[in-house]
Amino acid sequence: MNQIAVDQAFFIYFYISLSLLSIAVIASRNIIHSVFFLLIFLLHVAAVFLFLNAEFLMVIQIIVYVGGVLALFVFAIMIMNLKEELKHRKFVKFAGAGIFSGLLFFTVFYGYIRNIKLSPEKPLLSDVNVLSSILYSYYLLPFEILSLVLLVALIGGIIIAKKDPKEDK
Amino acid sequence: MINEYLLLSATLFTIGLIGFIIRRDLIVMLMCLEIMFNAVNISFASFSYYNGNYTGQVFVLFSIAVAAAEAAVGLAIVLALVRITGINHSDEITGLRG
Repeated sequence: MNQIAVDQAFFIYFYISLSLLSIAVIASRNIIHSVFFLLIFLLHVAAVFLFLNAEFLMVIQIIVYVGGVLALFVFAIMIMNLKEELKHRKFVKFAGAGIFSGLLFFTVFYGYIRNIKLSPEKPLLSDVNVLSSILYSYYLLPFEILSLVLLVALIGGIIIAKKDPKEDK
Repeated sequence: MINEYLLLSATLFTIGLIGFIIRRDLIVMLMCLEIMFNAVNISFASFSYYNGNYTGQVFVLFSIAVAAAEAAVGLAIVLALVRITGINHSDEITGLRG
Protein backbone atom coordinates (compact mmCIF):
# COMPACT_ATOMS: atom_id res chain seq x y z
CA MET A 1 0.00 0.00 0.00
CA ASN A 2 2.75 2.37 0.98
CA GLN A 3 4.77 1.36 -2.08
CA ILE A 4 1.82 2.17 -4.38
CA ALA A 5 1.36 5.56 -2.73
CA VAL A 6 5.03 6.42 -3.24
CA ASP A 7 4.81 5.31 -6.88
CA GLN A 8 1.74 7.48 -7.39
CA ALA A 9 3.43 10.50 -5.85
CA PHE A 10 6.48 10.11 -8.05
CA PHE A 11 4.35 9.61 -11.15
CA ILE A 12 2.35 12.77 -10.42
CA TYR A 13 5.60 14.68 -9.93
CA PHE A 14 6.94 13.45 -13.27
CA TYR A 15 3.67 14.15 -15.07
CA ILE A 16 3.55 17.75 -13.85
CA SER A 17 7.24 18.46 -14.36
CA LEU A 18 7.35 16.90 -17.84
CA SER A 19 4.34 18.94 -18.93
CA LEU A 20 5.78 22.16 -17.52
CA LEU A 21 9.21 21.52 -19.03
CA SER A 22 7.85 20.82 -22.49
CA ILE A 23 5.72 23.96 -22.30
CA ALA A 24 8.85 25.86 -21.24
CA VAL A 25 10.72 24.47 -24.26
CA ILE A 26 8.17 25.80 -26.70
CA ALA A 27 7.44 29.05 -24.83
CA SER A 28 10.85 30.49 -24.02
CA ARG A 29 12.13 33.22 -26.29
CA ASN A 30 15.80 32.62 -25.76
CA ILE A 31 16.75 29.56 -27.73
CA ILE A 32 19.54 28.45 -25.43
CA HIS A 33 17.01 28.39 -22.57
CA SER A 34 14.90 26.05 -24.69
CA VAL A 35 17.88 23.75 -25.06
CA PHE A 36 18.46 23.61 -21.32
CA PHE A 37 14.78 22.95 -20.62
CA LEU A 38 14.98 20.18 -23.20
CA LEU A 39 17.99 18.75 -21.33
CA ILE A 40 16.01 18.49 -18.08
CA PHE A 41 13.03 17.13 -20.02
CA LEU A 42 15.11 14.31 -21.51
CA LEU A 43 16.54 13.39 -18.10
CA HIS A 44 12.99 13.18 -16.71
CA VAL A 45 11.97 10.93 -19.61
CA ALA A 46 14.90 8.68 -18.71
CA ALA A 47 13.51 8.47 -15.18
CA VAL A 48 10.11 7.49 -16.57
CA PHE A 49 11.84 4.66 -18.46
CA LEU A 50 13.25 3.55 -15.12
CA PHE A 51 9.69 3.30 -13.79
CA LEU A 52 8.82 0.97 -16.66
CA ASN A 53 11.68 -1.46 -15.82
CA ALA A 54 13.67 -0.43 -18.86
CA GLU A 55 17.08 0.33 -17.43
CA PHE A 56 18.87 -0.22 -20.72
CA LEU A 57 16.61 2.32 -22.40
CA MET A 58 17.34 4.80 -19.64
CA VAL A 59 21.07 4.50 -20.24
CA ILE A 60 20.62 4.73 -24.01
CA GLN A 61 18.37 7.77 -23.61
CA ILE A 62 20.97 9.58 -21.53
CA ILE A 63 23.89 8.62 -23.79
CA VAL A 64 22.25 9.25 -27.16
CA TYR A 65 19.93 12.17 -26.44
CA VAL A 66 21.73 14.10 -23.75
CA GLY A 67 25.21 13.26 -24.97
CA GLY A 68 24.60 13.30 -28.72
CA VAL A 69 21.50 15.08 -29.96
CA LEU A 70 21.53 17.88 -27.42
CA ALA A 71 25.24 18.57 -27.95
CA LEU A 72 24.43 18.75 -31.67
CA PHE A 73 21.71 21.33 -30.97
CA VAL A 74 24.04 23.43 -28.83
CA PHE A 75 26.78 23.30 -31.48
CA ALA A 76 24.35 24.26 -34.25
CA ILE A 77 23.08 27.23 -32.22
CA MET A 78 26.61 28.38 -31.46
CA ILE A 79 27.71 28.04 -35.10
CA MET A 80 24.69 29.97 -36.38
CA ASN A 81 25.09 32.61 -33.68
CA LEU A 82 21.38 33.24 -33.36
CA LYS A 83 20.31 36.29 -31.46
CA GLU A 84 17.46 37.83 -33.39
CA GLU A 85 14.81 35.61 -31.82
CA LEU A 86 14.99 37.79 -28.74
CA LYS A 87 13.77 40.83 -30.60
CA HIS A 88 11.66 39.03 -33.17
CA ARG A 89 8.26 40.35 -32.25
CA LYS A 90 5.98 37.68 -33.67
CA PHE A 91 7.74 34.58 -32.54
CA VAL A 92 4.50 32.66 -32.58
CA LYS A 93 2.08 32.56 -35.45
CA PHE A 94 -1.15 30.66 -35.98
CA ALA A 95 -1.43 30.30 -32.20
CA GLY A 96 -5.19 29.82 -32.26
CA ALA A 97 -5.10 27.26 -35.04
CA GLY A 98 -2.24 25.39 -33.38
CA ILE A 99 -3.91 25.19 -29.98
CA PHE A 100 -7.22 24.21 -31.56
CA SER A 101 -5.73 21.36 -33.58
CA GLY A 102 -3.67 20.22 -30.60
CA LEU A 103 -6.72 20.09 -28.34
CA LEU A 104 -8.68 18.30 -31.06
CA PHE A 105 -5.94 15.69 -31.31
CA PHE A 106 -5.81 15.31 -27.54
CA THR A 107 -9.56 14.89 -27.26
CA VAL A 108 -9.71 12.20 -29.93
CA PHE A 109 -6.71 10.39 -28.46
CA TYR A 110 -8.13 10.58 -24.94
CA GLY A 111 -11.36 9.04 -26.18
CA TYR A 112 -9.37 6.05 -27.37
CA ILE A 113 -7.11 5.54 -24.38
CA ARG A 114 -9.75 6.06 -21.70
CA ASN A 115 -11.11 2.53 -21.84
CA ILE A 116 -7.90 0.55 -22.23
CA LYS A 117 -7.60 -2.12 -19.57
CA LEU A 118 -4.22 -3.79 -19.32
CA SER A 119 -2.75 -5.02 -16.11
CA PRO A 120 0.55 -6.88 -15.96
CA GLU A 121 -0.13 -10.58 -15.42
CA LYS A 122 3.56 -11.16 -14.97
CA PRO A 123 5.49 -7.91 -14.58
CA LEU A 124 8.26 -7.36 -17.06
CA LEU A 125 11.59 -7.99 -15.44
CA SER A 126 14.42 -5.71 -16.38
CA ASP A 127 16.69 -8.24 -18.03
CA VAL A 128 19.21 -6.95 -20.52
CA ASN A 129 20.16 -10.51 -21.51
CA VAL A 130 16.70 -11.23 -22.90
CA LEU A 131 16.60 -7.86 -24.67
CA SER A 132 19.97 -8.46 -26.30
CA SER A 133 19.08 -11.99 -27.38
CA ILE A 134 15.90 -10.69 -29.04
CA LEU A 135 17.76 -7.80 -30.63
CA TYR A 136 20.52 -9.94 -32.08
CA SER A 137 18.39 -12.88 -33.24
CA TYR A 138 14.88 -11.92 -34.32
CA TYR A 139 15.56 -8.24 -35.04
CA LEU A 140 19.00 -8.73 -36.53
CA LEU A 141 18.11 -7.49 -40.03
CA PRO A 142 16.43 -4.25 -38.82
CA PHE A 143 19.43 -3.71 -36.56
CA GLU A 144 21.81 -3.94 -39.52
CA ILE A 145 19.58 -1.68 -41.62
CA LEU A 146 19.66 0.78 -38.75
CA SER A 147 23.44 0.92 -38.88
CA LEU A 148 23.13 1.71 -42.60
CA VAL A 149 20.64 4.49 -41.80
CA LEU A 150 23.07 6.01 -39.31
CA LEU A 151 25.90 5.83 -41.84
CA VAL A 152 23.77 7.55 -44.49
CA ALA A 153 22.76 10.25 -41.97
CA LEU A 154 26.42 10.81 -41.06
CA ILE A 155 27.59 11.20 -44.66
CA GLY A 156 24.52 13.23 -45.63
CA GLY A 157 24.93 15.58 -42.70
CA ILE A 158 28.56 16.24 -43.56
CA ILE A 159 27.81 16.82 -47.25
CA ILE A 160 24.83 19.10 -46.64
CA ALA A 161 26.47 21.19 -43.92
CA LYS A 162 29.93 21.63 -45.43
CA LYS A 163 30.92 24.91 -46.98
CA ASP A 164 30.78 25.25 -50.70
CA PRO A 165 34.45 25.74 -51.75
CA LYS A 166 33.40 28.06 -54.58
CA GLU A 167 31.90 30.55 -52.11
CA ASP A 168 35.21 31.33 -50.48
CA LYS A 169 36.73 32.93 -53.56
CA MET B 1 -2.20 2.11 -14.58
CA ILE B 2 -1.39 2.03 -18.28
CA ASN B 3 -3.94 4.81 -18.76
CA GLU B 4 -1.73 7.16 -16.78
CA TYR B 5 1.31 6.50 -18.93
CA LEU B 6 -0.74 6.84 -22.12
CA LEU B 7 -2.20 10.08 -20.80
CA LEU B 8 1.33 11.35 -20.12
CA SER B 9 2.34 10.35 -23.63
CA ALA B 10 -0.70 12.04 -25.18
CA THR B 11 -0.09 15.23 -23.21
CA LEU B 12 3.54 15.48 -24.24
CA PHE B 13 2.70 14.69 -27.87
CA THR B 14 0.01 17.38 -27.88
CA ILE B 15 2.38 19.98 -26.44
CA GLY B 16 5.02 19.06 -29.03
CA LEU B 17 2.44 19.27 -31.81
CA ILE B 18 1.23 22.70 -30.69
CA GLY B 19 4.81 23.92 -30.46
CA PHE B 20 5.60 22.57 -33.90
CA ILE B 21 2.64 24.43 -35.37
CA ILE B 22 2.96 27.77 -33.62
CA ARG B 23 6.73 28.33 -33.41
CA ARG B 24 8.51 29.86 -36.39
CA ASP B 25 12.08 29.09 -35.46
CA LEU B 26 13.42 26.07 -37.31
CA ILE B 27 15.60 24.80 -34.44
CA VAL B 28 12.72 25.03 -31.96
CA MET B 29 10.61 23.10 -34.46
CA LEU B 30 13.25 20.35 -34.42
CA MET B 31 13.16 20.38 -30.61
CA CYS B 32 9.39 19.91 -30.75
CA LEU B 33 10.01 16.88 -32.96
CA GLU B 34 12.26 15.50 -30.23
CA ILE B 35 9.50 16.04 -27.66
CA MET B 36 7.05 14.11 -29.85
CA PHE B 37 9.58 11.29 -30.33
CA ASN B 38 9.98 11.02 -26.57
CA ALA B 39 6.22 10.93 -26.03
CA VAL B 40 5.88 8.02 -28.45
CA ASN B 41 8.82 6.27 -26.79
CA ILE B 42 7.09 6.46 -23.40
CA SER B 43 4.00 4.94 -24.97
CA PHE B 44 6.03 2.09 -26.52
CA ALA B 45 7.82 1.36 -23.25
CA SER B 46 4.58 1.33 -21.25
CA PHE B 47 2.97 -1.11 -23.66
CA SER B 48 6.09 -3.24 -23.43
CA TYR B 49 5.86 -3.25 -19.65
CA TYR B 50 2.16 -4.02 -19.40
CA ASN B 51 2.20 -6.73 -22.04
CA GLY B 52 5.25 -8.48 -20.60
CA ASN B 53 7.00 -8.34 -23.97
CA TYR B 54 10.40 -6.97 -24.89
CA THR B 55 9.54 -5.99 -28.46
CA GLY B 56 8.43 -2.52 -27.41
CA GLN B 57 11.83 -1.81 -25.90
CA VAL B 58 13.54 -2.93 -29.11
CA PHE B 59 11.35 -0.51 -31.02
CA VAL B 60 12.21 2.31 -28.64
CA LEU B 61 15.87 1.56 -29.35
CA PHE B 62 15.24 1.81 -33.11
CA SER B 63 13.21 4.97 -32.62
CA ILE B 64 16.02 6.63 -30.64
CA ALA B 65 18.54 5.79 -33.37
CA VAL B 66 16.26 7.15 -36.10
CA ALA B 67 15.68 10.30 -34.02
CA ALA B 68 19.43 10.83 -33.75
CA ALA B 69 19.81 10.48 -37.53
CA GLU B 70 16.88 12.83 -38.09
CA ALA B 71 18.36 15.46 -35.78
CA ALA B 72 21.73 15.29 -37.54
CA VAL B 73 20.28 15.67 -41.05
CA GLY B 74 17.72 18.28 -39.98
CA LEU B 75 20.31 20.45 -38.25
CA ALA B 76 22.59 20.14 -41.29
CA ILE B 77 19.77 21.36 -43.53
CA VAL B 78 19.01 24.29 -41.18
CA LEU B 79 22.71 25.15 -41.03
CA ALA B 80 23.03 25.16 -44.81
CA LEU B 81 19.86 27.27 -45.11
CA VAL B 82 21.10 29.84 -42.60
CA ARG B 83 24.50 29.95 -44.27
CA ILE B 84 23.06 30.51 -47.76
CA THR B 85 20.08 32.76 -47.07
CA GLY B 86 20.59 34.03 -43.52
CA ILE B 87 17.04 33.27 -42.35
CA ASN B 88 15.93 30.73 -39.83
CA HIS B 89 12.20 31.35 -39.65
CA SER B 90 9.93 29.02 -41.50
CA ASP B 91 7.56 31.75 -42.70
CA GLU B 92 10.34 33.73 -44.36
CA ILE B 93 11.48 30.89 -46.57
CA THR B 94 9.76 31.66 -49.83
CA GLY B 95 12.21 30.73 -52.57
CA LEU B 96 12.90 27.24 -53.79
CA ARG B 97 16.29 28.09 -55.27
CA GLY B 98 19.12 29.36 -53.10
